[in-house]
Amino acid sequence: MSEMTSIKTGKRPEEVSRSPSEWIRQNLFSNIPNTILTIIFGIFTLYAIRGILGFVLSGERRWEAVATNMRLLMAQGYPANQFVRVWFTLGCLMVLTGLSLAIWSGKGRLSVKKISNWVMSTGLGLAVFAALAPISASSRLGWVIAGALLIAGGLGLWQRAKNKTTETLHTIPTVPFSFGFLGILVLSLWVVPFGHYAFTNGELVAETGRTVAMSTKLPFTVMWLLLVGTYCLTNLVRESLPIAQAKACLVGLWLLSPFILNWIVLRDPDFDYGHIVSTDIPLAALFIFVGGGILFMLAKPSLGEIGRLTAIALLIFGVFNWVAAFFGWYPMLQKVRISFVLLALAALIAPNFAADRKTRLKFVTGWAILILISHWLITAVNSPSTLELQGPTYLGGFSLTLFVAILTLLLSFPLGVLLALGRTSSMPIARVLCTGYIESIRGVPLITILFFFSNILPLFLPQGMEIAELAAIVTGYTLFSAAYLAENVRGGLQSVMRGQYEAADAIGLTTSQRTGFIVLPQALRVSIPPLVGQAIGVFKETSLVAIIGAYDILRIANNVVPAQTEFLGVKREGLLLVSVIYFIVAFSMSKYSQRLEERVGLGER
Amino acid sequence: MSATTEVKPSNQHHQRPPFYRDATVVKWLFQVGALALVIFALWFLSSQARDNLSARNISTGFDFLSVDPGINLSEGIDTRPATGGRALWVGMVNTIRLAAAGIFFATIIGLFIGLARLSNNWVVNKLGSIFVETLRNIPLLVQILLYGSILANLGDLQFDSGWDNWIIWSNKGLSVPRVFIADGFYQWAVFMIIGAFAARWAYNRRSRLHDETGENTYPWIGSLAVLTVFAIIGWFIHPIFGWVGNIFGFISDGISKIPEEALQFLLSAIAIFVAANWIRGFLRSRRTPGGAARLTDDDKFRVIFAGVGAGIAIFAIFIVWPGLSSWIINSSSDLFEVLENKFGDGRTGGPFGADRPEVIKPGKFEKYGPSGLTMSLGFAAVFFGIVLYTAAFIAEVVRGGILAVPKGQIEAANSLGMRRSAALRTVILPQALRVIMPPLGNQYLNLTKNTSLAIAVGFSDLVQVGQTVGNQTGKNLSVFAIWMLFYLACSLTISVAVNFFNVRLRIVER
Amino acid sequence: MSTEAANTNRADMIVCENVDKWYGDFQALKDVSATIAEQEVVVVLGPSGSGKSTLIRCINRLEAHQQGTIIVDGVELTNDLRNIEKIRSEVGMVFQQFNLFPHLSVIDNVTLAPKWVRKMPKAAAEKKAEELLEMVGIPEQAEKYPGQLSGGQQQRVAIARALAMEPRIMLFDEPTSALDPEMIKEVLDVMKDLAHGGMTMMVVTHEMGFAREVADRIIFMESGEIVEVGTPEHFFTNPTEDRTKLFLSQIL
Repeated sequence: MSEMTSIKTGKRPEEVSRSPSEWIRQNLFSNIPNTILTIIFGIFTLYAIRGILGFVLSGERRWEAVATNMRLLMAQGYPANQFVRVWFTLGCLMVLTGLSLAIWSGKGRLSVKKISNWVMSTGLGLAVFAALAPISASSRLGWVIAGALLIAGGLGLWQRAKNKTTETLHTIPTVPFSFGFLGILVLSLWVVPFGHYAFTNGELVAETGRTVAMSTKLPFTVMWLLLVGTYCLTNLVRESLPIAQAKACLVGLWLLSPFILNWIVLRDPDFDYGHIVSTDIPLAALFIFVGGGILFMLAKPSLGEIGRLTAIALLIFGVFNWVAAFFGWYPMLQKVRISFVLLALAALIAPNFAADRKTRLKFVTGWAILILISHWLITAVNSPSTLELQGPTYLGGFSLTLFVAILTLLLSFPLGVLLALGRTSSMPIARVLCTGYIESIRGVPLITILFFFSNILPLFLPQGMEIAELAAIVTGYTLFSAAYLAENVRGGLQSVMRGQYEAADAIGLTTSQRTGFIVLPQALRVSIPPLVGQAIGVFKETSLVAIIGAYDILRIANNVVPAQTEFLGVKREGLLLVSVIYFIVAFSMSKYSQRLEERVGLGER
Repeated sequence: MSATTEVKPSNQHHQRPPFYRDATVVKWLFQVGALALVIFALWFLSSQARDNLSARNISTGFDFLSVDPGINLSEGIDTRPATGGRALWVGMVNTIRLAAAGIFFATIIGLFIGLARLSNNWVVNKLGSIFVETLRNIPLLVQILLYGSILANLGDLQFDSGWDNWIIWSNKGLSVPRVFIADGFYQWAVFMIIGAFAARWAYNRRSRLHDETGENTYPWIGSLAVLTVFAIIGWFIHPIFGWVGNIFGFISDGISKIPEEALQFLLSAIAIFVAANWIRGFLRSRRTPGGAARLTDDDKFRVIFAGVGAGIAIFAIFIVWPGLSSWIINSSSDLFEVLENKFGDGRTGGPFGADRPEVIKPGKFEKYGPSGLTMSLGFAAVFFGIVLYTAAFIAEVVRGGILAVPKGQIEAANSLGMRRSAALRTVILPQALRVIMPPLGNQYLNLTKNTSLAIAVGFSDLVQVGQTVGNQTGKNLSVFAIWMLFYLACSLTISVAVNFFNVRLRIVER
Repeated sequence: MSTEAANTNRADMIVCENVDKWYGDFQALKDVSATIAEQEVVVVLGPSGSGKSTLIRCINRLEAHQQGTIIVDGVELTNDLRNIEKIRSEVGMVFQQFNLFPHLSVIDNVTLAPKWVRKMPKAAAEKKAEELLEMVGIPEQAEKYPGQLSGGQQQRVAIARALAMEPRIMLFDEPTSALDPEMIKEVLDVMKDLAHGGMTMMVVTHEMGFAREVADRIIFMESGEIVEVGTPEHFFTNPTEDRTKLFLSQIL
């Protein structure tokens, strides 16, 4: 971003590029204390790199423990014969990513100079690696040559870029560049068959066709093709697409994808079609038509407060259904109870859509889509899975980590916004309740909350009702992170000027309209950077589920792999891999949030 | 005034709208509805819990605090606690020890790394960035487990492990030289408190002299000199304060004689007094010159809330948790008894001592001797984890705070001809500190909460002990309540301390 | 206190009777009574802190008065939600600080309320908005965001936004106080056009020229009280109250 602007302005005299010797003098040896610092810390750095390389490449390290267990670390015990479902999930995400990149038209450009810098520093890194790593002389020479080639290539790029004058030659678009980079990574799977070891007669042997690279090169190539293919195809037809609708659709798909991919694709529910035809479809139809009819009536402009009263009556009925469920007064399908609550909530916002026929029909269509999706998901969740599992869940390893993190973020966001609104509202009881909740949750460590939900929550449930361990974890984590999220949103809410509230009141908006159209859009825009920071925190702290016994990637690396007879006590290798994976995800997210922060700071509209 | 308005015809409009259209009533109803829902949910859940617990033959309550839990702790002031309460107390002490040491070292390291990130030297700058970016993007738990496993792979403890009995490391943990508080410390501390007052007096006198004459009287140096003199004299004559212990002894006896009911009534009286005082102040703040207080619905709610809060507190004191008051009495009596012993007579050693670590072999295996400061494997893993992790965050806080001081401030100080050190001390630092303090306090809070990850490496902190005790006795719910209270108390303490400094800084600013 | 109505044959649009308002200890309005007839333009003058803004904010129920009666277009301002809704959509308000919605384009700012409060179809609302922007003289800025406009332009958008609800009364709370001098005229011109078009207006301002030229009546307030009410000639040439004279001597 900043790269972009400095190039675009162009008027500013080009920064005088200093010669390397001058750069070194200014940054490393400008005066005596500086020189001493450079020498001390330079030596320290070399020692540290040597130590780390020695540790990582030492003959005692058993990296094959990680390579052999790669599938376990990523997806734990997902049935091998159904593994194509995991790839399908990844493929769906690739298609969505390609679509989004094309629709939001990633127009960012990278300067060639920056790329040449990267190439040169990689080369330099390789050279340092070759000089310090405890490896044989011949391979040392190989690494040195590779490093020298990269440096030379980088210098060549730099020279070329220096002579070019126009912006298009100075820079290349980011998206194709990243595709190319990913392509090279995928290609390397075909060239270098790393990562495969198997035990044959008690000895480790690399078996052709069964290494990590071998077994994943085809799927990863397909993933790459899907990503690039979708991007190119969408770019071709982009002009003829209604962009606003396409964006709305994509956002909806992204929000739905975790639910559908997890419960439908990965879990593979065994639908009972007889029951679906006899019960589920009529039920959905009933809610769509009768509920839609009620909503259509409630959205009548001339209705006045009768609409509000009806909505409140519906809400009371909806809540009462749950009370009755706990006491077992009358049976009712869970789906119906949820639908009634949804209906009541829709009825509450109905007056906001009270306008001409077209708007009201749109509202009712939205209701129909909501019912279709929610009923489908509920049916899918309630159908038994067809997977033959060894472990407790079909999710495990990194997939579990991602699932818990994403679900927690998605669920805690609305809750956090509600809590923030409650805490800043003018209603004292709501304020006290929200403040008390937020502060007491923020006062205790996450692990105690997770213990509470995995150990103690079952005590609070009516007898006979059970909650799956994973559901308990996600519930607890959601309630926890919502409190933190609420504080971030509150910061944004407080930045909205009082005049905005008054102006909204003065033009006659209702409280909910004021909140939805005026206050929240402004507040959320301000709180995006802290919210991304919060998301990073949620992702990192997902590792805590390992303590309460869920098989996430950390638990597998820390407890499962070291317990295998072949790799007894081999722990550090797995933990290092876990660190690297967490680092890559968290680091790229934090870089992204820094860019967002710059953009929010710049484009104040 | 009202007499004249009544005859005006327009007042015929003046009627209450139906309740569902009255803004005040709707607001009220909504809130009361929400509150009722919350209370109902809580009541319902607790009744379920009661049923479930009785079905499993588990009783609620805190009686386990005085029952032998039958557990062994890996380390702490008491590794075989006689009661559940004692076990939790050991856990709390371990947590506090870990948090205090962590805060101290994380602050120092964070400060240096933060300054390094501002350095002009490229190597130093980059090293700082790499430290920060690496450590804060790897989950703390992963780091703790990694450090734990690296430590666990160190060699077995032998007589020649480490550096010449200065630092010893092995898979049993780390041992370093320690400076410890010796017997005479407490009497010496009393002496030092008096010294602090004297130093304060010297400081005031010298700065007054500076104001009057304009000469440089170095008040800081003067007061430090006074304190040093007191420290040195106190080193030799501190036993004269042996009688302080008796005072604590009297207090301890006195407290243990208080009947339980008296404390209950006292606590209730405090609750009522606080609520009444608050209501009185509130009503006074809403009073108009016209006389009677004009209360909006919000205000009425606040008053009712304060009253209900006091009622709930009293209810809790007498009915829900009658053991609370006896617990308070016993523990505060214990506290003063401990103080009595610490300050008591007959202690003639110096205030401090220092010793190097050693390896001993009492039986078959080598172990660390008692002379060094020994960190067990678990402690060391969590300690390194929280210190390095928090230091990375503190470094960012420090860097942000210093960068937040506008460049114009430095230029202004330079233009006044201030020396670099004076500008730093009087202009930059106060402003930077004001930005740094609140997020720094947050980091301290996070660190304290993060000590709970000790459970992953088996260090006996409060959560680990609580989890064991809870599983042993089935009193998970009560343990959870104690966790919450403890961590809330820690949070409160830290925020009070940070706020105190913040207020001081604001005075500096003026 | 002079309570003569300028035009007795017209209906009363705003009636305030014995209105009191306190902020804590501070009494912002003391026994204020005033009547404003249809199509009348009333300018409220007074030193800062005299309760002028509070008065017109009470009329829009942005603040709730505590005693007395306020009747706007035959509807009394009480806690009745329906009445509040009704008043808000019949009374337009223009603020000192414009208070445009920064995240919405100009056209969205103007059409938001007609669409969601008046339930107007989108096309009709946009057509109406274009007419209004034409009227306030900035039809070409419709797609811009408020941050890209000058203060005067923003204030004119704010007037258009208020007018889009087709209000029967317009309230102006120091509309030119936050503007640079060269932009004041463009806003005052729009307000004059509005006044000549027969809008009922209540204007708090320090623009004496505007008051003299456009106002049918002037209300002078000090420390929460109405001190004097009269026509512009009476007020500027021959005020009866000493406090008015003092005020005029300070500012003229």
